[in-house]
Amino acid sequence: MSAQTAAPGLAPTVVRLKLSLLRNGLRQSGGRRAAYVASAVCALLFAALQLIGLIALRGHAHAESLVVLLVAVLGLGWAVMPLFFPSGDETLDPTRLVMLPLRPRPLVWALLAASLVGIGPLFTVVMLIGSVIAVAHGGAAFAVGVVGGVLALLVCVALARAVAAANIRLLSSRKGRDLAVLSGLVIAVGAQVVNFGAQRLGSSGLGQLDPVADVLRWLPPASAIGAVDSVSEGSYGVAAVQLLISAGALVLLVRMWSRSLTRLMISPDGSTLQAAEPAARDRRGAAGLTRLLPGGRSGTVMERSLRYVWRDPKTKAAWVTSLAIGLIVPVFNALQGTGSIYFACFAAGMLGIQMYNQFGQDTSAFWMVALTISSPRDAYVELRARALALLVITLPYATLVTVLTTALLGDWAKLPEALGLSLALLGAMLTTGAWTSARFPYSIPQEGYKNVAPGQTGLAWISIFGGMVSAALLCAPVIALTIWLHVSEGGEAWTWLLLPGGAAYGAGITLLGLRLAAPRTAARLPEILAAVSKG
Amino acid sequence: MTSVRVRNLWKRFGQQVAVAGIDLDLPAGKFIGLVGPNGAGKTTTLSMVTGLLRPDEGTVEVVGHDVWRDPVEVKARIGVLPEGLRLFERLSGRELLGYSGRLRGLPGAEVDKRATQLLDVLDLAGAQHKLVVDYSTGMRKKIGLAAALLHNPEVLFLDEPFEGVDPVSAQTIRGVLERYTASGATVVFSSHVMELVESLCDWVAVMAAGRIRAHGPLEEVRGSAPSLQEAFLQLVGAQGRDAGSDLDWLGGGAVR
Repeated sequence: MSAQTAAPGLAPTVVRLKLSLLRNGLRQSGGRRAAYVASAVCALLFAALQLIGLIALRGHAHAESLVVLLVAVLGLGWAVMPLFFPSGDETLDPTRLVMLPLRPRPLVWALLAASLVGIGPLFTVVMLIGSVIAVAHGGAAFAVGVVGGVLALLVCVALARAVAAANIRLLSSRKGRDLAVLSGLVIAVGAQVVNFGAQRLGSSGLGQLDPVADVLRWLPPASAIGAVDSVSEGSYGVAAVQLLISAGALVLLVRMWSRSLTRLMISPDGSTLQAAEPAARDRRGAAGLTRLLPGGRSGTVMERSLRYVWRDPKTKAAWVTSLAIGLIVPVFNALQGTGSIYFACFAAGMLGIQMYNQFGQDTSAFWMVALTISSPRDAYVELRARALALLVITLPYATLVTVLTTALLGDWAKLPEALGLSLALLGAMLTTGAWTSARFPYSIPQEGYKNVAPGQTGLAWISIFGGMVSAALLCAPVIALTIWLHVSEGGEAWTWLLLPGGAAYGAGITLLGLRLAAPRTAARLPEILAAVSKG
Repeated sequence: MTSVRVRNLWKRFGQQVAVAGIDLDLPAGKFIGLVGPNGAGKTTTLSMVTGLLRPDEGTVEVVGHDVWRDPVEVKARIGVLPEGLRLFERLSGRELLGYSGRLRGLPGAEVDKRATQLLDVLDLAGAQHKLVVDYSTGMRKKIGLAAALLHNPEVLFLDEPFEGVDPVSAQTIRGVLERYTASGATVVFSSHVMELVESLCDWVAVMAAGRIRAHGPLEEVRGSAPSLQEAFLQLVGAQGRDAGSDLDWLGGGAVR
C-alpha cells in the first residue's frame, strides 16, 4: 500500500481517535466531566470577553501593537504548554503509534489535523478572529485576515507538536515528569509577571508596546496577523513578506517535526534502553546529616522526611510554595507600609501546613511504615520524628521572617510577642496536622499537577480548613493574653513574657496533639493505607 | 507445625465479594504457592494476612499470634513484598534498605552490613546509589525482596514476586528464596504462572473466585493430572474450552 492512497483516510481516523480519547476520558468519572465542562466554559467565556475587548479596540491607535503581542504570547503558550502538560493529549505522544504501519508524511498531516480538535485550538481561533477584526480595515485586509488567521493557527499547533516531538525523550522520562509537577510554580510566577505588565500598561498606555511589537510583527505566528495590519495600511509588499515568513515557518516546523517523528519511530524507546548513564554520584553528603540526627526510629524517619523535601517533586513544590508565600506576604506588606508585625505569623502558619496529610505524602509506600508500627508508642515516635524534621526547617525560617519583618517595620519592641505568637501558631498547626493526618488522610497523585485524588477533594478540604480553624482556636489563649497585656494598664511592660509563654504553649500542645494522634494512627493503619493508595 | 492459620476470612468491596470465607493452614518451613487466575483474590488475601487490609470477618494467626490483636509479635516476624504498592522511590536502593532496617529497630551497623550482602547477592550493588524511581521492574522486585528479608523474618509473604521480572533476576530471586527456606523459614508467594509454582513449591493452595479450591502438598493437588496447569484447569472448570473453533479465518497464508 503506498503512502498516497493511505493519506486521505488517515486524517479522519486520527481525528476520530482523538475525539474518542476525549470522550472516553470524560466518561471515566463525573468529576472529570464536570472539571472539563467547567474549564471549557471558563476558557470560552474568557475568549468571548477577549473577543469583545478586541472588537472594541478596533480603530485604536495602538491596536496593532497589542494584537501582535497577543498572538506572539499565544504562540509562546503553544510552544511551552506541551512541556508542562504532556499527559494532556495522548495523540501528542507519537511513540504510541510506533507499531502501526504508517509513513511519516501522511501521519504528520493527520496528527496536525487532530491537534486542531480541543478547547485550546478553539480558544486560539476566537482570539485570532478578534485580532483580525481589531486590525483589518477593508475587504482585502479581511481576505488576508482569513489566510493569516489560518496560518497563525497552524503555526501555533505545529509549534506545539514540533516542540513536543523534539522533547518526547525528556517528557516521557522521570525528570520530565518531575518538571511537570513544578509547572504550577511557573504559572504562578508567570501570572505575577503578567499582572505587573498589565499594571504598567494601565498606568502608561498601550504606546509602550510599540517597540516590542515592531520586532514581533516580523516573527511567526504574529507576522501572519501583522500582515493584516500591513494590508490595512496599504503596504502590500510588507504584508506578502510577513505572510511568507509565517508560511515558511509552518513548512519548517512541519519538516522538523516530521524528522523527529521519523527518528522516534525507528529508534528504540528510551524506557527499554538499559540506562547507560554514569553511576549516580555517591550520596555521601547525607552521611553528615545522619550524624547530626538522633538514633533509632526518630533519626531514621527525620532523615527520610528531609530527603523527601528535596527529592520528591510534589513535596518540594509544596515546600517551595509555603516558603515563598510565608516570606512574601509579611515582607511585601511591610515594604508597602501596610504591614503589621503580626503578619509574620503567616510564615509559621504556611509552613505548619506541611504537617497536614503526612501519610498522604508517603503515597502507597506508607505500607512500609504501617508494617513497622505495632503499638501507639511506635506511631507516636513516627509522628514526633516527622514533626521534628519539619521544625528543623520551620523554626529558623519562621524566626528569620519574623526578625526581617520587625526590622523592616523598625518595631523591635514587639519582636518577642510576634515570635511568641508565631511559635504558638506553629504548635497549633503541628498538633492539628498530626491529628488530621491520622483522621483524614488522602492521596496525593504523583503524576500531573493535582494534589488531591479524584473523589477525595472533600476530605482534603475538611482536613486543611477544619485543621486551620482549629489551629486558630487553639491559639486563642495566647492571642487573648496578647490583647489583655496591651489593653491593661502597665501590661505593655510584660509583653516579653509572650515569647517564653508562646513557645511553651506551642510545645505543649504539639506534644498533646501527637499523644492524641498516635493511638488513632496505630488503630487505623489499614484505613490510612487504603486512603493514601488511590491514584 | 502451622505457620499461618486462617479461619473464615471474608472481604467485600461494595457488591463484589473478593474473598469468600477462606480456611487455610499453611505448614511451617515450606515453599508455599498461592495460585489462581487474575482476580481470584490472591492479593486481597495476602493483604489481610499481613495486616495491610482489614478483613470484614475472620481471624488470621501467624506463628501462633493473632495479626490484629497482637501486631507487636506478628510484625517483627514477617517480611512482605506487596504488589501494586509503591516503595519510598526517592531513596536510593541502599538508603531504602537502611531506612527499612532501622525502622524495624535493628542496629545501624548491622543494617549496613546486611544491606551490603543483600545488594551483592541480588546483583544490585552497581545500582545501589541510584534512586529506586529509576529502577526497572526486576530491580524493584529485588530491592523489595531485600527490604523484606533484611530483618530475617520467620515467614515471608511475596505477592507476584516474579511478575515482570527477567529470567536472570528471576533466577537470582529463586536462589535466595531456596536458600532461605532450606534453613527452616516459610515462604508464601502468589502467582498465576503454574510452571513456576510447580518447579518451586512443595505445597500449594489453589484459589478461584475468592475461595480455596484445593490445598496440600504439590503431588496431592496435582493428583493424576500430567501437570499442575492441567490440574488447575480441571479445578476451576476451565478445561475443554476450545477458543479456536470460531476463529477459522486465523492462520498463515491468506492475505487478509
